[in-house]
Amino acid sequence: MAEVQERTLNEEDRIMRVWTPILLRTILIASAIVLVFGLFLMATKTPTFYVERFRSIQAGKLHPNETFSQDISEALNGDPHSVMTLGLFILTLVPLARVAFCFLLFLKERDYTFVGLTAYVLIGLVAGVLLGRIG
Amino acid sequence: MGEILLGLFALSIGAGFIGALSGLGGGVFIVPALVILARLPMKVAIGASLISVVATSAGASVAFVRDGWTNLKVAMVLECATVTGALAGAYLAGVVPVWILEALFALTMLQSAYFSFQKQEDDLIENGDPISKRLHLGGEVLDEDGKMVHYEVVHFPTGAGLMVMAGMMSGLLGIGSGALKVMAMDYFMHIPLKVSSATSNFMIGVTAGAGALVFLARGDVATSVAAPVALGVTVGALAGSKILPHANIKALRMSFVVILVLIAIEMGWRAVRGI
Repeated sequence: MAEVQERTLNEEDRIMRVWTPILLRTILIASAIVLVFGLFLMATKTPTFYVERFRSIQAGKLHPNETFSQDISEALNGDPHSVMTLGLFILTLVPLARVAFCFLLFLKERDYTFVGLTAYVLIGLVAGVLLGRIG
Repeated sequence: MGEILLGLFALSIGAGFIGALSGLGGGVFIVPALVILARLPMKVAIGASLISVVATSAGASVAFVRDGWTNLKVAMVLECATVTGALAGAYLAGVVPVWILEALFALTMLQSAYFSFQKQEDDLIENGDPISKRLHLGGEVLDEDGKMVHYEVVHFPTGAGLMVMAGMMSGLLGIGSGALKVMAMDYFMHIPLKVSSATSNFMIGVTAGAGALVFLARGDVATSVAAPVALGVTVGALAGSKILPHANIKALRMSFVVILVLIAIEMGWRAVRGI
């Protein structure tokens, strides 16, 4: 029994060590590409707008908050600000995707203690969005 | 536009580089750099820093995970504590006065400076506490002689409590709180230092991610600042981690401490003026 449990633990560890770096690197590269593209669009399409935006941020005025669907549609239309916001959202997917991957792995291996622990972290990350919306 | 962008890139690359060399992470240096040098509001700096911490953690932890230094189970258990703290911290960051954030930042700088002077020796334990044993948190690590040795984890409740605090500081101040996390794992839980550092690095992404999601959803992230900062800090951190094995860290440590103390004085002074 102890031997079977030990083997399961080693298998979980091996899978996580192989796939976690791939997952982290892939999402990181994807977000970097989108962010660089957004900055490129900003530099070529609206260079003076960036300066104005930066000065207003220094004065404490931020861009009004938009919904995620608004950002997506504006990003598809080539709006530099929305493209960069999309890049930042992809970046914040890194921890979310990593925890979700571990959750599914523990579920597959029926390691219910860690299913509960990773589910708590996942719920916490999603709660972050709700907390930001109300706060 | 070019000058502003280049300036932001330069500051971010510098912060990421020093953060990687000092082992304290880029957040500790980019927040004061944005506030003091780029003259941006504290909350904008915190939002941008949280995003950059997610990026650097993801970049830096890849090699540690692949090479087996990270204790993944310890990370996943303690993330429950850090995420709870980070959500509370990020929420509070939106409501507390700026001078409190500046004062807390100054204190955190002093704690990081103190941490840089702590003795760093492994004190491995063979018998873990009941919670750690039940969760199979122990692991194996190569010792100085290249021999594989087993370690167990102790004082789990103390470590978890400190992780809630580290998470709260992360969400409040936009830093990774790596110094506090490593201290909790190494000093209190007796996890080997190298494993503690690698595990802390891995956890920082999720901790900062929780805080970053609150800031993003609240509309407190200035995209035009956060995008170049995230890219710059990541580039700087990657460059720093390449140079790290060849650098004389003991010689550099004193200059890092001086920088931290100077930042603490400046932030402390800003807090006093803001009361």
